[in-house]
Amino acid sequence: MELIEVSRDRDTAIIKPQLKRIDASVALAFKEAVLEVVASGEKAVVLDLEMVQFMDSSGLGAIVSVLKALGTRGTLAVCNVKGAVLSLFKLTRMDKVFVIADTPSDAIEKLS
Amino acid sequence: MKAMILAAGKGTRVRPLTSVMPKPMIPLVRKPVMESIIEHLAQHGFDQIFINTSYLSSAIENYFRDGERLGVQIAYSYEGHLENGQFIDRPLGSAGGMRKIQDFCGFFDSTFAVLCGDALIDVDLGAVIEFHRSRGAVATIVTKTVPLEEVGKYGVVVADEDGRVKSFQEKPKAEQALSTDANTGIYIFEPSVFEHIPSGQEYDIGGQLFPSLIQKGVPVYSVAQPFQWVDIGSVADFWHATRLALGGQVRGYRLPGVEISPGVRVGLGIRADWSKIQVSGPVYIGSGTAIGDGAVIEGPTVIGPNCVIEAGAQVRASILGDYTRVASVASLNENIVFAGKLIDPHGEVVDIEDADIGWLLDDARKDLIDDPTHDLLREAMQRDRSAQ
Repeated sequence: MELIEVSRDRDTAIIKPQLKRIDASVALAFKEAVLEVVASGEKAVVLDLEMVQFMDSSGLGAIVSVLKALGTRGTLAVCNVKGAVLSLFKLTRMDKVFVIADTPSDAIEKLS
Repeated sequence: MKAMILAAGKGTRVRPLTSVMPKPMIPLVRKPVMESIIEHLAQHGFDQIFINTSYLSSAIENYFRDGERLGVQIAYSYEGHLENGQFIDRPLGSAGGMRKIQDFCGFFDSTFAVLCGDALIDVDLGAVIEFHRSRGAVATIVTKTVPLEEVGKYGVVVADEDGRVKSFQEKPKAEQALSTDANTGIYIFEPSVFEHIPSGQEYDIGGQLFPSLIQKGVPVYSVAQPFQWVDIGSVADFWHATRLALGGQVRGYRLPGVEISPGVRVGLGIRADWSKIQVSGPVYIGSGTAIGDGAVIEGPTVIGPNCVIEAGAQVRASILGDYTRVASVASLNENIVFAGKLIDPHGEVVDIEDADIGWLLDDARKDLIDDPTHDLLREAMQRDRSAQ
């Protein structure tokens, strides 16, 4: 099974991890899969975390790495964040660093 | 005068706070709710107090001991037994608990008060007893008038003009409510009430005793008193009550510590360079806590004793239990950290260990987890700041 599913909505790449947990065992592979998409020149990326129920520090680190790779040329939004993952984002102030939206379409709207 | 405090409940609705302490021990700015109740009783001349305990009984018994510290005498009635070193709790209900004490030593030999151990009150008990005697009541219920839209949260008492109770409604809908006088769980009784409480079985004051008294025509009265009643019935209530207490809005409530600047109270032996910390009240910081440079602390916030707020960490409108470590990259906003849980006062509870967020929020007695993600996050925050 693929780690991520990628779809597009106009200029935005929507990346949906096919994982319940993003932890140390998959974080590196996950990061590389996402970076591969980003490296192709994407400017707006939405990460749809609908399936993700748990994320540890390495998972969060992977997302921050993606953010870093986007640099100043692109923007990142995250959507469908629930429970413990949302707590993690708030606790680390990531809700100030990237956009957190309810659904992919909300995310696209907020990015544009 | 004699009083009984009801303290045997499990406090199910206040979980997870009550997973580690019984409800009467829940601290409002460091002081258990029941301590304020005992102080209030003492002020009104109730200096002999029986407390019934069951769930986590030792926490109550070891804290209040014989009551001398508070200027009263305290005895305990434990409801349950010890089996293979384990407490097997068998709570008897509020009236059953009263009866057990009476069966044990005939403690209640004149007019006495019975109160719940989990609500802050400043009711004038002298005035209530005067009312009770003037009516020749066997039982008097202290009520508080609540807004009609809130009656659904309470047991409502229906009385005639003279105060004689006619009936009860348990959590009625606003449109069906016959009264807006809520039962506050504060009662005055005559010892003759024990003729109506069965021995050796579970029996409840509100659900069984009062309906039975009314049916038998025993004089039961209610008196609506204007007083402050801060009930800790839920985590949201605890949150709200702490904010009231911090803001000086709970009458007669003495805040602990010393005020070092307006609204900022601290305990003893705090390690902090206040010139490098952004702090705004109302805030209480417990003894033995360390706060690193660049930390942000915004009220209303209570930080327990022996916490570690690392350099740059942010704590806004939150309540932290003893020995909480907040990592430098962490930010708390409207959270309760208590008993290994990160609690949103209006909703979700996250177990710190299950969620694996110990690298952000942990017990301060554990070794610091230096996670490489810390540096990544710091860098991300920097980048964000420079972008703004």
